[in-house]
Parts: sequence; C-alpha cells; structure tokens
Amino acid sequence: MTSDPYSKEVRRLFKAPAHAGIANGPSARIDAQGVSVELSVEARNGQVEAARFRAKGCPHLVAAAEAFCADLEGQPVAALETQFGVDIMRRLSVPVEKTGRILVLEDTSALLAGKL
Amino acid sequence: MSEPSIYLDYAATTPVDPGVADALSQALCDETTLANPSSVHRAGRLSAHRVATAAEQVASLLNCDPGQLIWTSGATEADNLAIAGAARYRADRGRHLVTMPTEHKAVTDMFRALEKEGFNVTWLAPGPDGMLDIGHLEQALTDETQLVSVMHVNNETSVVQDIEAIGELCRSRDILYHVDAAQSAGKLPIDLRRMPIDLLSLTAHKFYGPKGVGALYVADRPGCHVEPLLFGGGQQRSIRPGTLPVPLIVALGQAAEIAEQKQASDLAHVTRLRAALWDGIEGVEGLVLNGHSSRHYPGIVNVSVADVDGESLLLDLEPLCVATGSACNSQNQEPSYVLRSMGRSDAEAEGAIRFSFGRMSTLEDVEQAAGLYVNAVSRLRQLAPAA
Repeated sequence: MTSDPYSKEVRRLFKAPAHAGIANGPSARIDAQGVSVELSVEARNGQVEAARFRAKGCPHLVAAAEAFCADLEGQPVAALETQFGVDIMRRLSVPVEKTGRILVLEDTSALLAGKL
Repeated sequence: MSEPSIYLDYAATTPVDPGVADALSQALCDETTLANPSSVHRAGRLSAHRVATAAEQVASLLNCDPGQLIWTSGATEADNLAIAGAARYRADRGRHLVTMPTEHKAVTDMFRALEKEGFNVTWLAPGPDGMLDIGHLEQALTDETQLVSVMHVNNETSVVQDIEAIGELCRSRDILYHVDAAQSAGKLPIDLRRMPIDLLSLTAHKFYGPKGVGALYVADRPGCHVEPLLFGGGQQRSIRPGTLPVPLIVALGQAAEIAEQKQASDLAHVTRLRAALWDGIEGVEGLVLNGHSSRHYPGIVNVSVADVDGESLLLDLEPLCVATGSACNSQNQEPSYVLRSMGRSDAEAEGAIRFSFGRMSTLEDVEQAAGLYVNAVSRLRQLAPAA
C-alpha cells in the first residue's frame, strides 16, 4: 500500500483551519510557485493578538499556514521575520519537493513584517 | 473507524466481476488449467483447450478470429508490442509514424523510444474538445508513413475518436492502424471484421477482469505483422513467447463473455449515472468539462475549476476515490499532459478531477460524489485569497 502522503497533523489542520480568514490589521500577499498566500495580523503593543491566513495551494501549504498562524498569536511581531520554513516542514513532514511553496509562506510573513 | 470509500475510479481499474472471480478462483485450482498449455501430454492439452476457449470468448466480443489474438500482460505490453513491433517490421519501407500527444503513456513513451531509434514521429495535437481533425491526419501522412496510433476512448477525458474514419484513411494508404482500446473494449461495440483496424490493444482489468493479463489483436492481412519484444520458448508463434498464465487468460475470457452479454445494459447504466452526476455539479461556477459534449464514453467525466488546487480538492473529496488525471500519472505533480495538449491552462489542468464509474456503481454513489464536489469547491474557494 502506498503510504499516506499526509500526516495526521496535516490532515487535521487542513480539514479544520481555525485561523482561516482575515485579521483586523495589515496584510501581505504573494502569488508564486503556483500558490497564493495572504497573511494578516492584528497587533497591539508589539504583540500579535490575532493572525489569519488565506491560501490556495496543496494541503501541506494550507496546514503550514494554519500552524504558523496558530503559533504566531501571542508572539512578538518580530516573530514574523524568523525563518520558520524548515522547522514547519519537519514538523508536518512536508515533502522536499514542496519546499518552494513553504518558502512562499515564509516570504509572505517577512513581507508582512515590513508593513508593521 | 474511517468512512467507507466511494470508488469512482473505474478508468484506473474496475472491480472484478463476481462471475470472473469465480472463474479465476476455480481456474487456479483446476486440473484443466494446471499444466503448461504448450505441453503435449493430456493435462497440457486440457490447458490449451481452456486457452482456446478464452480466445473464442474474446474474439466473440471483438468479432475477430481467435487466432488473431496475442496474449500479453496487459495493455501497456500490448501497446508497446503493437507500436514497436509494427514500426520495426516495416522499417525498411519507411520510418515515419503518427500519433497524438493525448495518448496513454504506454503509447507516447513507446513512440519517444522509437524516436531515439531514428524513427520520425508526427504528434498531431487535438482540438480543444480532444478530437483529432481527420484533415490534419491526412496532411501528416507521407509515402514514408507506416503506422498511425490513435486510441478509441481517452482514459482522462473519455473522448471517443472516430476510429473508423482514421482506419479507412490508413487502409487507403496501406498504413497500419493501431488502436489502444484499453478504455473501450467490453464497454463500447468493436467489430473488427467491419472496422479497418490492424492492431488493437486491450486489458482485462478495465472491464471487470483481473490485473496482469491483456491481449493484442493483429489483423491477418499482408504487411500486418509485429516483431517480438521478448525472446524465448516460441509460444504464440514467437511473437510473444513465455508460458501462458492460463488462469488469468480464463478470467479474461470470462470477463469478455460477461461484457458481451452486459454491454448494452452497462452502457445504459453509466449514461444514467453520468446524467445524475452532471445534474449535481453543473451549477458550480466556472466549471469546465474536459472532453467532448457528445463524442464521449459516458462512464468518465473530467471537469476543472481553475481557481481551486487539485491536490487539495482530492483530499477534501475523501472518502471519494477519484483521480486528478490519469492514475498512471499520479506519481508526478505536473499538470495533466493530456489536458495541456487540449489547450487547458496549468491552473485548469491542476484543478481537474476525473470521475469514472461502471457496472457496480450506484446512483447513490454519484449523488454523494456530486455533493462532496460542490462542497469541497466551495470550501476551498472560501479558503483562498480573493481573485
């Protein structure tokens, strides 16, 4: 039997992305690598109070965007500038051929950081 | 416990018909299929008789002579044998071959291998509806052309090519015509005594038989012959040597007999299912049918929406078992080469879903599938950034 290309975590995050939508704050969007990612945050006193995403792409990308937004809430806005792609790929067992898509998410985050 | 699957991927492979399964299980433990059919002792002759009976069953389905059939491991081998075998046999007459980029990989990859051998291949692009323009074929033919290969029913789009018109044109120029009938054998009428076809490939597992067995029809007429790809014990006139898998051949024969009996009712059944599926999904905004509106086999429906990712759509459709394109092509993430050849954009090709159904599918299956599709497209559109 061919192994399931999606981990349980990817399936859970893809099926019920609690952070899908638009936050009441600045946003950034990048269309590249055949995917679209839009991130938005609501920040107060240098802290991210709410993070939201919208994405068109594969299940791994959607799951990664959901995991990233969930992690971001409560963090300093500087967290938007961290290079999280490798960690999130490892955590979600994202296949290496999808690296480019995850980097689009990372680049969108960096773009958003520049707007805060 | 996970939800039961709804299997709508019949174009990839069909379930085995219970009558075929019975015949196969009996044949696996039966003294009449025990021996090597090439052996001259009594048991060998019994096996040879079972093979001959299966050949008569397949020949009856196709309306040809049983002696014109070569057993293979499936349609891929039959396609390879037909194309390479005929091209090499007639290479001294000319080295020009014609096919389409929308053929199955078993055909296109064989032609690419022949290009490396020095053959000149013309690739005729289809129209946006997947059909071959016969005028373009006529223009492509030269005095050097020896073989044309154009499939009957496309495995991704269900488009039905006009194989009689293609065959007549080829016959008038003394060019061999090969038809990959993997998706049509047992499902649509094929009459090889009437149709001008020289080589025809089929496989059991696309019409309710087991995987691992197929056949190649080779017309008995001057200039029509294939050189072997394999060498060995001289079986099947040395065209395809190797000990015959008698139980699988018995099962293929049984599948052919059942298909002949049920062809009309099966076709009526999938026509009803197609109408129900279409009723359920046609309201989806931006939906594109990948295929021909009338020249199609009704058991395959391929649709696209350009603004939804195909891989996410496939996961969202679970427990539905469908394909994003050809199942044989599912290991790579490139957009379908068939849909790209028909002029679809990368986005449309990536968002394509192929529903395929058949004898064992139910109205409830396709109605559930339609509901899942509508809901999945809606959810993924909500998830995506605004256009």
